Amino acid sequence: MGTQVKDVIIKPDATSTLLLDKHADYIAAYGSKKDDYEYTLSEYLRMSGIYWGLTVMDLMGQLHRMNRQEIIDFIKACQHECGGISASIGHDPHLLYTLSAVQILCLYDSVDALDVDKVVEYIKGLQQEDGSFAGDKWGEIDTRFSFCAVATLALLGKMDTINVDKAVEFVLSCMNFDGGFGCRPGSESHAGQIYCCSGFLSLTGQLHQVNADLLGWWLCERQLPSGGLNGRPEKLPDVCYSWWVLASLKIIGRIHWIDKAKLRSFILACQDEETGGFADRPGDMVDPFHTLFGVAGLSLLGDEQIKPVNPVLCMPEDVLQRINLQPDLLS
Amino acid sequence: MAESEEEVDVLVQRVVKDITNAFKRNPNIDEIGVIPCPEARYNRSPIVLVENKLGVESWCVKFLLPYVHNKLLLYRQRKHWLEREALADITCTLLLLNPDFTTAWNVRKELLQCGVLNPEKDLYLGKLALTKFPKSPETWIHRRWVLQQILRQCSAMGRKHQQGEAEQADAERSQQLSDHLARTLHQEMKVCSDAACRYPSNYNAWSHRIWVLQHMAKGNVKVFHDELSSMRLWVSMHVSDHSGFHYRQFLLKELITELSLTPASTPPSSPQRRRSQVPDSSPPPPSQGPANGELSGAEAAAEEDRQLLQLFHQEVELCSDLIQSFPGHETLWSHRRHVFYLWHHWRREHQHHCSSNGGNASVRLNNSEPTLAEVGAQSCAGRGESVNGQGHASDAMEVDAASLPDPRDSKRLKRGALLPGTPGLPSEHSFVSGVLDSCGNPEQRRFALAYRKWLDTVIGQQP
Repeated sequence: MGTQVKDVIIKPDATSTLLLDKHADYIAAYGSKKDDYEYTLSEYLRMSGIYWGLTVMDLMGQLHRMNRQEIIDFIKACQHECGGISASIGHDPHLLYTLSAVQILCLYDSVDALDVDKVVEYIKGLQQEDGSFAGDKWGEIDTRFSFCAVATLALLGKMDTINVDKAVEFVLSCMNFDGGFGCRPGSESHAGQIYCCSGFLSLTGQLHQVNADLLGWWLCERQLPSGGLNGRPEKLPDVCYSWWVLASLKIIGRIHWIDKAKLRSFILACQDEETGGFADRPGDMVDPFHTLFGVAGLSLLGDEQIKPVNPVLCMPEDVLQRINLQPDLLS
Repeated sequence: MAESEEEVDVLVQRVVKDITNAFKRNPNIDEIGVIPCPEARYNRSPIVLVENKLGVESWCVKFLLPYVHNKLLLYRQRKHWLEREALADITCTLLLLNPDFTTAWNVRKELLQCGVLNPEKDLYLGKLALTKFPKSPETWIHRRWVLQQILRQCSAMGRKHQQGEAEQADAERSQQLSDHLARTLHQEMKVCSDAACRYPSNYNAWSHRIWVLQHMAKGNVKVFHDELSSMRLWVSMHVSDHSGFHYRQFLLKELITELSLTPASTPPSSPQRRRSQVPDSSPPPPSQGPANGELSGAEAAAEEDRQLLQLFHQEVELCSDLIQSFPGHETLWSHRRHVFYLWHHWRREHQHHCSSNGGNASVRLNNSEPTLAEVGAQSCAGRGESVNGQGHASDAMEVDAASLPDPRDSKRLKRGALLPGTPGLPSEHSFVSGVLDSCGNPEQRRFALAYRKWLDTVIGQQP
């Protein structure tokens, strides 16, 4: 009675070298197909899409190929009266896209393009009595939004404008028996939420509140025989979860607990040799999202062709050095 | 096929109208989908309604979506005016094609606030979107907002009526309100189950289900019991669905909290315990019998211990059965960790509680490694009363009668007989050894060894 393990098989002829030039060409060409049906379909998250594309270009040393002025003008046009930033023009503002916009402007060293005081007011206004953050004025609560709030404020050097103690209290109330975190109190542990919560605790200087051995254990159990990492038990491995799990392990000082060489082979096998870009799994369609997390993952694994990436903010370390931001990591 | 911009406009407006009309013609549409069809067929609408299924032919989606998308964004930028009805139709079409378009849901929230749309209709639209996109985060987020509106409306109405109505009319109103909330809760559970069946380990569906219980059934032990019972069959048929098992863990944990929360001096049926927005409306489980009079503090506490022990006992048995029947599933081993962890902590806290109270005669937990069975035998002094025994007659939640506690168990407990297969570190170790001795499945062995290591390090090293 054998059970099929939920995993992929890496073929012997799978790509095993990093095709950086192809990836840069893929990202540079991505935005030029603006009339595409697919492009319309994903407009609701455009600002994050731009962050993924620009960050991976910067990590590959190719940021100069993107249209800096056009992007800055676009971001300006997405800031609303309330201070929040939307995914695209005509969409409603949200914390998710406010963070992406600020991250992009940090890459370009142009945060002044925004009305920064208003951004800070917007974020401050979304904190609830229990310390949690709503994603926008409609009130949805999620630990992802706690991360978005503190990450944006940290990049702007304005962390002291919110009630940090209360914010920490809420995130800790989402910790589970396995050391992981979910989206709200009582919710299942999930690698994406764990990344947000450990990043949050790093930025607020509270990593000592994490049970690093227990959480590290859970995170290591995400590695499958193919070398890839999944986000929860019995899910398929995925390049983006490889990033979230790996970055969380780096934040809590347990990255040496997984098989790095096998993970590297898995990530490399997710490249498309013809079109460039990374997919979630070998053989699937590529997209900018997985391309960033593939390249960023390889950077955390120590690939020297790529700039070092910061595990908390998923941005190049040199950018964070410029703004003098060094989030805590456990050793 | 339409080519010029003008032709596209005409075509798309007709299609949006066809969709609106389909909903008017058949209010029972229960599923949406795209019909693969690369070419338009002459003079036929691309909207197909067969029985209760609404389909759109794939060739028209690439015209339809950009059109409604741009129309809504122009409206949002105040460059193009749309009447409220048109807004409702356009956002409906848009969200059925692209349900993560946050701003379109927000437009509908505004329409709801000014009374153009009603909450039930929006829950229905979301339900349909989830038949094609069962994970769609924005659809689940919108549902929570709508449910909060309903809760707010109900509590506002409840307050208004308390202020001046005759007592009887007041009672009728509040009964109506709680029936309405019970129905909404029931429908919501159904939407979550459907989405969970359409996509395995559906995080958004299961965390929504938890949110619903936290907001609409808080403190309602009966609803939590019923959920636990009705989930039993579901998890047995979805042994790799980690989210489904996590939901069971959540239910168990809530029940432990609720049952342990009752101070010994408070009879279980007292009003303080009835914090829920939704009334208990089905009969108590058969093993618990009708409430007859009030229990003494010690008896009530013992009764609650008995119930908890039974919950743990049944959960561990279920878990063992599934691990043996379906070897090599990480989800089942992870569930075992969680259940054992809950048991271990409940027992430790219980021990602490009892010793700080100068030793409760009905629960003795002083030996170094008592088993559930021994504790069970000690704590069954109470009679078999229902913990939350309000006996309203209607059936708000389905109860899976087969999975309710076996009445024979409670008789055995009362006689002080031992329960078989209950957890303690030794019994868990012998369970692992049994699996390792009898099973050749390498995955099963790997998970069993990891569980043994977890017992030794995580549980074993705790004070």
